[in-house]
Amino acid sequence: MSKASLMIETKNLIKKVTTNEGELQILHPISFTVSAGESVAVVGASGSGKSTLLGLLAGLDEVSGGEIFLDSEPLHNMDEEARARLRGDKVGFIFQSFMLVQSLTALENIMLPAEIAGLDDAKKRANEIIKQVGLEHRAHHFPNQLSGGEQQRVAIARAFITKPKLLFADEPTGNLDSVNSQKVEDLLFALNKDLDTTLILVTHDSQLAQKCDRQLQMTAGELVEKTPHLKVVSGE
Amino acid sequence: MMAFNLAWRLFKHEARRGELTIILLAIVLSVASVLSLSLFSERLQQALTDKSAEFIAADSQLRSRNPVDPMWIEEAGKYELNTAYQLSTRSMVFAGDALALSDVRAVDNAYPLKGKVKLSTIPFGEGIATDNSVPRGEVWADSRLLQVLKVDIGDEIEVGEAKLKVARILSEIPDAGFSIFNTDPILLINAQDVAATKITGPGSRVSYKYYFTGEPSQLEDYYDWLRPQLDREVHRWTSIEDDESPIGNSIARAEEFFLLASLLAIVLAAVSIAVAAQRFSQRHFDPVAIMKTLGAGKSTVRTIYLIQICFITVLGIILGSVIGYLIQQGVAFALQGQVEVAIDTWYWRPLGIAVFTGVTCAMLFSIYPLLQLFSIPPLRVLRRDISSTVSSKFLQFAFSGGAVFLLMWVYSGNLKISSILFAGGIVLVLSLLAMTHVLIIIGRKLGSGSMGAWTLAWARIRRRAMGNSVQLISFAITIMLLLVVLVMRNDLVKQWRDQLPEGTPNYFIANVTEAQKEGLKSHFDTNNVLYEKFYPVARGRFVSINDESVRTEVTKEGEERSNEGRQGLGREANLSWTTELQTGNVIVDGQWHDVWQEGEPVPVSVETDIADRLEIELGDTLAFNVGSEVIKAEVTSLRDVDWQTLQPNFFFVLHPKAMENFSATYITSFHLDESRKNEIAPLMAPFASVTLFDVDARINQIREIIDQVSLAVEFILILVLIAGSLVLVAQVQASMDERLEELAILRTLGLKGSRIRFSVINEFLIIGGVAGLMAAFANEFSLYLLQVNVFQMPFALHFEYWVIAPVVGAIVVGLLGALSCWRLLSLNTAHLLRKMV
Repeated sequence: MSKASLMIETKNLIKKVTTNEGELQILHPISFTVSAGESVAVVGASGSGKSTLLGLLAGLDEVSGGEIFLDSEPLHNMDEEARARLRGDKVGFIFQSFMLVQSLTALENIMLPAEIAGLDDAKKRANEIIKQVGLEHRAHHFPNQLSGGEQQRVAIARAFITKPKLLFADEPTGNLDSVNSQKVEDLLFALNKDLDTTLILVTHDSQLAQKCDRQLQMTAGELVEKTPHLKVVSGE
Repeated sequence: MMAFNLAWRLFKHEARRGELTIILLAIVLSVASVLSLSLFSERLQQALTDKSAEFIAADSQLRSRNPVDPMWIEEAGKYELNTAYQLSTRSMVFAGDALALSDVRAVDNAYPLKGKVKLSTIPFGEGIATDNSVPRGEVWADSRLLQVLKVDIGDEIEVGEAKLKVARILSEIPDAGFSIFNTDPILLINAQDVAATKITGPGSRVSYKYYFTGEPSQLEDYYDWLRPQLDREVHRWTSIEDDESPIGNSIARAEEFFLLASLLAIVLAAVSIAVAAQRFSQRHFDPVAIMKTLGAGKSTVRTIYLIQICFITVLGIILGSVIGYLIQQGVAFALQGQVEVAIDTWYWRPLGIAVFTGVTCAMLFSIYPLLQLFSIPPLRVLRRDISSTVSSKFLQFAFSGGAVFLLMWVYSGNLKISSILFAGGIVLVLSLLAMTHVLIIIGRKLGSGSMGAWTLAWARIRRRAMGNSVQLISFAITIMLLLVVLVMRNDLVKQWRDQLPEGTPNYFIANVTEAQKEGLKSHFDTNNVLYEKFYPVARGRFVSINDESVRTEVTKEGEERSNEGRQGLGREANLSWTTELQTGNVIVDGQWHDVWQEGEPVPVSVETDIADRLEIELGDTLAFNVGSEVIKAEVTSLRDVDWQTLQPNFFFVLHPKAMENFSATYITSFHLDESRKNEIAPLMAPFASVTLFDVDARINQIREIIDQVSLAVEFILILVLIAGSLVLVAQVQASMDERLEELAILRTLGLKGSRIRFSVINEFLIIGGVAGLMAAFANEFSLYLLQVNVFQMPFALHFEYWVIAPVVGAIVVGLLGALSCWRLLSLNTAHLLRKMV
């Protein structure tokens, strides 16, 4: 696999935190790669370190050791400002609790990343994508006026508006009933395919995980490849 | 542009959805209260200044021993000042065989520039204001003069070489001054008649007064131009601010009170903005984390929120200005007739101050919460428990405290008042922190056990005690500020009223001989007239201190400032003698001479100001020339004199032994009811040689001003109370946010609404009670510093507030908590949970 087609590459990635009891290592050295266009599910029990890994891969948190390359850019060497720029340019997010700005309407929430990225056609893009998620009639409603499923569809539209190369989804169906979960899943994978986005999906849901190209199992801060035909990457 | 658009969008939606209400309310409050207070006090001060200007018949006065260069008066015209002129001298006036020494005042047609001349139809009758000037060939004469000269209206009297007709009885002129010594009856004549009278010939002691009115800035410019040409020995420039009379002092204190009230309003506003900004910041933790996650850099986030704060500030200032203006205008209309407020006049300064306050409060008090907001890490989108990385209570207090102090200092220009209030605040904060620890200990004991309403309340206090110390402190500061204003108002008004109680003497009599004294007393008793003590008086020329002759005249005229209230000690001093210390006199050094041993030097007690001026110290020997004899006395005590009481007071009080060889005349005062005013002439007729002074008009003027100032002070109290109450509402509202989550959980777990409600009410009752108690203690501390150092008032503890403050604090805060809680708990659980998300 050529270096250029790698979307994520980590080498001996470590995360430690300081607690009252002393230093605690949350992630043990993790090395793995994700190719462009791949969809990867990270599964594991609560407290296994999934969200920590997601935070580091997305540049939301600082690494304690090791290296992360995101689309060949050295995330581990960047300061917060540079990481924010990188996220704005290349990354989209979907969260379990939707994370919409409560004082902005659905349409304005969708526009937000495009505006931050300085795109002139933010509104046009938002109007197009809101139709794709089937919420054009709710464009001017505020998040608390929408159902959970609708809020997550707004979040998906927001995640795709800048056509990111990489999408992080943290339990995207965790707060939804089965009907809404199905709709959101379908939408997520459809848009992912259409836009050829690399997807990193953190989930408890094994059915959802199976829809991804690969599954990585997180256990007590260690990462194990669940799909045997691909390389196991955790450990030195 | 993106940041601007986003900020505008957030602002627009949040304002529409009522999410900015608290912070907007805080800014509106700060601007409205500062504007209404400053505008009202500016207008009131203008009215009072106009009133006090009447006492010098102008805004400023130039006194001179010689006529001034006419060019000076012409120059005043260039500064658009109005001018008037008065020449005065003492001269004998005759009517047939009768003669009397009179204070002749020759005035031009423009006199008086401020205030009114009052005339009456019968001697000592009630005066009616006139706009006319005394015509040529006529005189307006004091009642006493008519009495002594035995003339009536229409008769002619000789003034110098001119014969002038008594046209009216002079009841009052604005700048008559108030002195019971050395005052001869006033005779008002037209300035153009002076030449004919020839009373200003060689040897006569003439003084000239030039009156000026105009814009303060122009008066100041004119004085700047004039000052280099003035000779201190000859000229004296007087302005209303120089007035040290009881009225001047009352007004000065009222101004200080207004300043204090405005400062407290600013602090109240600042506290509410601090609370609101904290809440604003916390509500935006998530949006900031989201924006950062989506690629917004720190500078973008900073710009968005700074622009948003600007929008909020501008809207707050606009709303606050309109509301403040309306409040002020409403109150001015309501008080119309009772308080003379120049409601038509618009002043820009209060608006400037209000806007400055709004901007400064909004910006300075937002700094710390905004710093917290900007530091929110993007990781919060995954881990909701992550909060701001900036969390230093010290930094928060330093920012807020520094800002409050700076604002107070800049606004008042008075370091003393600012420092005192600030010190009070710090003591309060420290006491509260200590109290919070006590609460934690109590809470630990009371907050365990079954889930009763009180148990829940204590448990919540225990959990939040440290975290919510800011809230507790802000409650207490608010209550303390309200208490300071309330108690200051009560004490100040009481002191003013005590100064002139009902039955205050309104007539003074002097030149009562030893032989007349007892007769006069029984005459007063027979006629049901209440009289005061008779004080012996003798005129003595002050000769030397420790055998070093005195060059300085013992007169206030040697000073820069005038003193209409006590003027007239002159080259000669009025000496009195008694072994009984007068009311309102306090010995500050040495010992009062109630006991004296034969053979010891004769003791004298000296008033402290005159002692300072003439560098008289304890043990010095003073010599007075009384009649043809020299009396030597040793200074054995220094006295502080309360010149604000309308009682005769003396610079020098000797032991009676010193004066045993001299015949004394006496002065005293008495009260005659308004309804008996017309009896005064027949009442005093049997004692024609006694000199009578009618100070009724003067007392009424003072009383009127005091009443007006008291009313105004009351209004300001109400305004501050409203401001304070709104701050409390804002604080309770803000704190309800923090309780929302817990309420939702308790509700979801099935706890009864009434129990939750009572637990919240109980919690607020406890917090309100504690805050009230602490506020009462801090109030005493602040009042002590303020009353002793700024208002020069006696201090006493206010025990009643030690009970009232905690009780009222608990009830008000409890009620407000109950109302907010009612609103929240009326929502169903699902709604409550959604609100939480």
